[in-house]
Amino acid sequence: MSSVIIRNVNKSYGTLPIVKNLNLEVQDGEFVVLVGPSGCGKSTTLRMVAGLEDITQGDIDVGGRTVNDLPPHKRNIAMVFQNYALYPHMSVKENIVFGLKKSGADAQTIQNKLADVSEMLKLEPYLDRKPADLSGGQRQRVAMGRALARDADVYLFDEPLSNLDAKLRHHMRTEIARIQHQYNMTAIYVTHDQIEAMTLGDRVVVMRDGIVEQVGSPMEIYLQPTNTFVATFIGSPAMNLIEATVNENVLVIDDYHIPAADIANVDLTELNKHHSVLVGIRPDFFEDSSLNSPSDNVFEFNDIQVDLVENLGFDKEVLFKLGGEDSKARLDLRSHVQRKEHISLTVDLNRVLIFDTSTEGVLLNPGALINPTDLSDPNG
Amino acid sequence: MMNKRTKLQSFMLYALVIALVVFCIFPFLQILSTSLKHPIDWGNPSLIPKILHLDAYKELLGLMPPKDVDIPASIQRLLDNPALSEAKKQALITKFTSGGDVFSFGRYMLNTFVISLVTGVCATFLASLAAYAIARLRFPGQSVMANGVLFVYMVGGVLLMVPLYQMSVSVGLASSVAGTLFSLFLIYLIQTLPVAMYMLGNYFRTIPFSLEEAAMMDGCSRVEAFWRIIMPLSKPMLFTVFIYCFVIAWNEYLFASVFLKQYQDFHTLPLALQTLFTSKNAIWDRIMAASMLTLLPVIICFMLANRHLSGGLTEGGVKG
Repeated sequence: MSSVIIRNVNKSYGTLPIVKNLNLEVQDGEFVVLVGPSGCGKSTTLRMVAGLEDITQGDIDVGGRTVNDLPPHKRNIAMVFQNYALYPHMSVKENIVFGLKKSGADAQTIQNKLADVSEMLKLEPYLDRKPADLSGGQRQRVAMGRALARDADVYLFDEPLSNLDAKLRHHMRTEIARIQHQYNMTAIYVTHDQIEAMTLGDRVVVMRDGIVEQVGSPMEIYLQPTNTFVATFIGSPAMNLIEATVNENVLVIDDYHIPAADIANVDLTELNKHHSVLVGIRPDFFEDSSLNSPSDNVFEFNDIQVDLVENLGFDKEVLFKLGGEDSKARLDLRSHVQRKEHISLTVDLNRVLIFDTSTEGVLLNPGALINPTDLSDPNG
Repeated sequence: MMNKRTKLQSFMLYALVIALVVFCIFPFLQILSTSLKHPIDWGNPSLIPKILHLDAYKELLGLMPPKDVDIPASIQRLLDNPALSEAKKQALITKFTSGGDVFSFGRYMLNTFVISLVTGVCATFLASLAAYAIARLRFPGQSVMANGVLFVYMVGGVLLMVPLYQMSVSVGLASSVAGTLFSLFLIYLIQTLPVAMYMLGNYFRTIPFSLEEAAMMDGCSRVEAFWRIIMPLSKPMLFTVFIYCFVIAWNEYLFASVFLKQYQDFHTLPLALQTLFTSKNAIWDRIMAASMLTLLPVIICFMLANRHLSGGLTEGGVKG
């Protein structure tokens, strides 16, 4: 295994910039997820690491050597493609051992690897079949097996689960996480699915328009997004962004006056420089006031009219208006709120974030960075 | 009413198709019929011979026992003359006992087969490399090159025939059999390459590029990816292109008639058939049997190509 260092990398097609001054270091054995909307440059970044795209500017180091000018086959990188890219004329077995054979591995090693991989991915019954005779999930497993069979320095995953149905995607996500930990692989994983990003990554890189918006652990990204883009992109449902006016250490939303000093994350000096701000509250941090509050530092929105209730089984999503915006709260299944009902919602002020309306950056109090021990449980 | 009209339409459609098929295959049936008819039956307009007569085929394929030809009495007297040298006697005997202008079908078929095979193999190989470059690589002048090769079809063979022959004379190729055959091979190659490239290029474009990328990630260079992934996946089209080039070379008459005129031993079948029409062996059953045997490999080739074209090989490789 090896580390990957991406230094000041730019990629343009003609005059159109795709990736802008990207810097990223992936440690040995680390699982880094690149996440962002379509066209944000995440797949291009991955393909530049693979050598399938030229770098317009900058350097990429893999295992301590600069690989800018090395063709893909000399980089010793394995890759799982979004569309599987299995060799249709070869059997599953031949697909899996193709890379190993190319690397000159001896027959015994090939046999052992094939046995390991096919057992791990439950592919034993299909080894003699052609890809055309497999289901989508089986093909995806073969594509994974082909990469995992190799003793590569770095493993790249380009949205490998995006073509699978929800159930299989969930299963394969767990498998990938298990395999990554088992083999301690250095891996870069590209997805537009923020759940995959959160569940798989040791670190998550959120990208937009070719720029890295934030790099951090999944919980850092979730609890302390640096701007409104990251705040709304990560988390489902998205973070509520409610416009509020600032009035001397008080945030005014509709008729509610929230004492800003109680908001742990906000820089008061910075806040008071603003006339209006965006208050970011994740739907998960609202609580039905009739139930026990998870924190002492709460604010109560005591007259919320429920527009819609969506029952999801374990919890329910409640739609309401706050600050003129459609907002969502995810409430415990014990809550009995009904549509058109007026209810009280409390919010944990330790989890509330304030964003600059114009720059969309977070007004974070540097002294109030979330304690790493808090990161393990967002409800804690 | 609706059903009745549909039936009528179906009937019309089938009638039209059958008429078209009969129109197309009638000449072939006529060739087959005549080749199998006994000379006494030639005046019979029916396609079905009264007597099945395979002598023409046997003769062409060398299956007939050699005929004993008697030397005329006047020549025998000449041979009895002791003043005549032994060599001259032998020459006289050979002249009067040989079959004369025997049509060596086997040799012509071998000539045609060799030149068609070499053309087919080389054209398919070169076209696959060129088509890959045009379909996959990006280089200056790519589209000019892709379309420029089709220029060869803008000028008819008749116009090119004399200049090309003059060129091969000028560079000294036409002075030897090998050179002439090489010139002919080059001409066939140039004639078949554009369509071969076009067919293969279009086929290569249907193979997802991610398969090559996967091969490159698995340790293959671009060239290896081409040989190990693209070529095996293109087998049906490679075979079709080979058949196309083979058949073009097999049937070519115009250039062969100019270039090979002086080398009778190296005549190809179309050329030999033309010679047969005008020779003293121009007997209908032999001409038609020779035509039938010339057609046979072409028909077999098309049947094989048809079978290979039925299925694509890239299924299952990529999603969607």
